[in-house]
Amino acid sequence: MARALVFQLDGREHSVSPEKIDRTKLYGAIDVEALDSKNRKCQLATLADDGRTIVGAGGSSFATLSPDGLWMEKTELKAVDTEGKHIMPVASSYSAPIPLTKKATIDEYLAHNIKGVYVVRSEGDVSALVDELKKGVIYSFPYSFRGGLEADVGFLLAGQDGTAFMAIGQPTRIHFVGLEQASVLTEEETETTADDDSVDFDMM
Amino acid sequence: MGSINIANSKNRDAIVNTKSVHSPLRVRWLDEKGRQVQSVRLLRCTIDRDADALIKLAGSLDKVSELLLKGDPEVDVESYGRTLSDTSRVYIDPDKKIVHKILEFENVRNADGSLRERRPRVVPVPNTATETPLKWSGKLIKKSEVFNRFVFANKMQVVHVNGLTYDFLYNMAKELHEQQSLMLLGSGPKSNQPLIFQRGGTPYRGFLEGRIEGDKYCLILHLSNMELKVPEVQVAPAATVPAEGGTSEPVKTVEPAPKAAAPEAKSEAPAAPEASSTKKKTPRAKKS
Repeated sequence: MARALVFQLDGREHSVSPEKIDRTKLYGAIDVEALDSKNRKCQLATLADDGRTIVGAGGSSFATLSPDGLWMEKTELKAVDTEGKHIMPVASSYSAPIPLTKKATIDEYLAHNIKGVYVVRSEGDVSALVDELKKGVIYSFPYSFRGGLEADVGFLLAGQDGTAFMAIGQPTRIHFVGLEQASVLTEEETETTADDDSVDFDMM
Repeated sequence: MGSINIANSKNRDAIVNTKSVHSPLRVRWLDEKGRQVQSVRLLRCTIDRDADALIKLAGSLDKVSELLLKGDPEVDVESYGRTLSDTSRVYIDPDKKIVHKILEFENVRNADGSLRERRPRVVPVPNTATETPLKWSGKLIKKSEVFNRFVFANKMQVVHVNGLTYDFLYNMAKELHEQQSLMLLGSGPKSNQPLIFQRGGTPYRGFLEGRIEGDKYCLILHLSNMELKVPEVQVAPAATVPAEGGTSEPVKTVEPAPKAAAPEAKSEAPAAPEASSTKKKTPRAKKS
């Protein structure tokens, strides 16, 4: 049973159970099988840079080292943003009701990469919420499954057939570009001299 | 930054750039002195000392504990704990030996998990920056109709490379902006084939969106590989596929010619490290 997510809309609480949908559930999946010359199933492994050491699944792990190369525990560390400001962790979206106060435009929604989609199911009466979504309204809210440093952006919207969906996205950096912002145009700085216009055959 | 060969509504084409619009990592971890720490990948177990190897060495699973009490056969003190970088992906056989020539098959499964087809693997080749431009399909879908029809998992921005292509792309964006629509963008003569950006990459349906603001433009290529809809079937347990390459179900099977594993980074590293190495990036901090 999926965990219940509670949305607050116009003073009413709507408890829903998001159920993840993906390509496998919609269309099926393709799994790749590798066989050797004896028709035996092979598996992927990692070869270290010495060309001899073979590491299987779970044979490596990540660790955090200080600039001096010393082992650091994650609990000893502080998370900051790119400007060095301390990041306040966000709580799980399942720990408290989510007020639906912010509406997103279609352009705002389209400016996000959607990394997960859930169909919104409920055993209770969520008709008020679904009716609102069917009008074309898109609600956006911060979403975090477990809680953590950053929240993703959650969207509540109705599909073509009126089914309510929750999409989890991440903002992108789409921006307007002008002529001077050409991606590969770089102007090399050159020293200008009085003889610049002259045709110099010495260099040939 | 990638490139794309794209045609406009007048069937004029140009090779322009594509730019990732993915948000960069916004979290850094600092130690108590305010210095940035680094993540490293460490070796913790090799296949010659894993559980299977220990069972083989001891003779049976029951005798492994005895082996562990007597010594430390599971630890190689010389290599465990060293950092891993410039690693390669290789295939190993059941004897844990590297395989140089493999046969690859794809098991195509239905949404209920049943096997639909078994076929030799075909690696998709990129088709977005070839000599043949992606045609202007003219198939427009209003933004208000498309946003809740497909799941846009990825997107990239199409940008100019010089003054000529600025005009080319600006006019394209203007045309789409005025229509308030996304245009279906695909490969092939009918522009109905999926877009593939890298060899072996995920095939996507492309939707081109244009926005303008004064003399600036924003041409976004939305990518989708999924519709926004409820699955029709219940997912059943996955059908079993025999490990030895055969199948228990009457499925289409075509034997491919054996191929060398090297081009796909499945060979031994010393042979061609530049071709097969998969450099591991510093892991990003986990987001929510």
